[in-house]
Amino acid sequence: MTGSSISGRHSGHLSAAAYFGCVALLTLAGVGLAMLARPAFGHDMLQWIGLESVPQAQAASFYALRVAPLFETRCAACHGEKRQKSDLRLDSFANLLRGGKHGAVIRPGDVKNSELAARISLPASDDRAMPPSGKTPLTEDEKTVIKLWIAHGASGSLHDIAGAPKPVIEVEIPKLDPAAVEKQRAPLAVQVHRLQDQFPGVIAYEAQDSADLEINASLKGGAFGDTDMQALAPLAARIVRADLSGTAVTDASAPVLAAMVKLKSLRLSGTRTGDMTVHALEQTKALRSLAVVDTAVTAGALAPFRARGVTVYGDGDGP
Amino acid sequence: MDHKPHVPVWDIPTRLFHWSVVLLLCVSWVSADQGYMRVHLVSGLTLLSLLLFRIAWGLVGSTTARFSNFLHPPRRVMGYLKGLAGGDRIFYAGHNPAGGLMVLALIAVLLAQVATGLFANDGVRFHGPLALLVSEDVSTRLTDIHGLIFDLILILVWCHVVAVGFYLLVKGENLIRPMVTGKKHRAHLPAELNIAFTRLYIALLLLAVSAGVAAWIMIQGESIL
Repeated sequence: MTGSSISGRHSGHLSAAAYFGCVALLTLAGVGLAMLARPAFGHDMLQWIGLESVPQAQAASFYALRVAPLFETRCAACHGEKRQKSDLRLDSFANLLRGGKHGAVIRPGDVKNSELAARISLPASDDRAMPPSGKTPLTEDEKTVIKLWIAHGASGSLHDIAGAPKPVIEVEIPKLDPAAVEKQRAPLAVQVHRLQDQFPGVIAYEAQDSADLEINASLKGGAFGDTDMQALAPLAARIVRADLSGTAVTDASAPVLAAMVKLKSLRLSGTRTGDMTVHALEQTKALRSLAVVDTAVTAGALAPFRARGVTVYGDGDGP
Repeated sequence: MDHKPHVPVWDIPTRLFHWSVVLLLCVSWVSADQGYMRVHLVSGLTLLSLLLFRIAWGLVGSTTARFSNFLHPPRRVMGYLKGLAGGDRIFYAGHNPAGGLMVLALIAVLLAQVATGLFANDGVRFHGPLALLVSEDVSTRLTDIHGLIFDLILILVWCHVVAVGFYLLVKGENLIRPMVTGKKHRAHLPAELNIAFTRLYIALLLLAVSAGVAAWIMIQGESIL
């Protein structure tokens, strides 16, 4: 179908220029209103041209240390840099105070009228609960932290809030890898096993994830002597703690003790050991604790150990 | 030849489609804004049915409803706009070349909006009927696109309203009344008219099929749950 053409004067009331001038004004007004309807926009503009300062929180404040991490981990995925559900961002102090599409979510000092406090307090079954069902919920302590912070004025500078639940410090416990432990223990496993049979209760692994050993012969008393120490010599490099208190061990065992290069703690109290044994231990850099009560060890022999910070039990005044 | 001053140009299905889209856009906007997602879902699926119907109607409907009637090559559209700026008064029984382009743009954008909506999620507890067919990541990205297209729709609707206002206030031609009554004044029509109206039952049949397709998509989605 073709159009019919009539050239001539306009039959409307407005000139095209006037009309599009009005349209341009209306468009600008509309865009302005739409932008202002999002509270973030007005603040953005004012802050951008420098008429409004950007609220900042202090680095060591209660907000920065206790509150911000909760918003960051529990809320910012939907209310952050990537997504801004309901135009709300909780990823900075300024954004948090600014609120979202439906206005402020925090009223400093007024928990009851703070939308955010109300939403995090709703039961998970409520459609309006935050974080929504399916996401990691806030713990009771975490809710308390947020509400206390709002109650105390939603401050960015306040350092401590009396009665706030203690922060939970998450500690990651390394997973035990039995295969790796077994592999570490393997080179000496047969010998350890054989010697454990020979000296029941004397030899044990330091921990379930360790290949290092502890020996405790103190309960054997006089029945444990230098020959027994000699029998343990193949394990020396693995021994980190040795309790020989009250045994029949003498300075003859000094070479075996010297071979215990990882030894951290050694108890010789009540044995017939003397300065020769202690001298032999001078190269044992790992040693932290040495007990020589009721031995022939002299103060002079102990001096270098005290000097390097080893805790010494016994004053070296002889038996 | 009939010489009544007002001549029918728009059939009932085309007019109903137009005003239904106006209504559904408002409903979709408000329901999404206020979080009435069930309403938003029904509104979106209805819009999908209507869009499918309109595409079919653009192929087999009445003369003024057909794409072949109002889609012109770009050069023709430019020529029309230039003439318009120069004060030409060229009348079309149906959509003028610029208006035709607007129809195409609106249908395309609304279709894209409905399509992304089917796969969208609100990140909380509601998702489009087909959202589970794609990964959460894809669904979230389509949701973002759904939001962007909405802005595009607002821009197109504004252009559309501005254009209609231009005809009304500058050119002295009321395009709104014919979209309600279906009739245009003879003074605003080309001398030679040749409009064939497709029978209403065909429109009803097409609408039923379109609604069936939308319902089927919905059921497919539900069956994933």
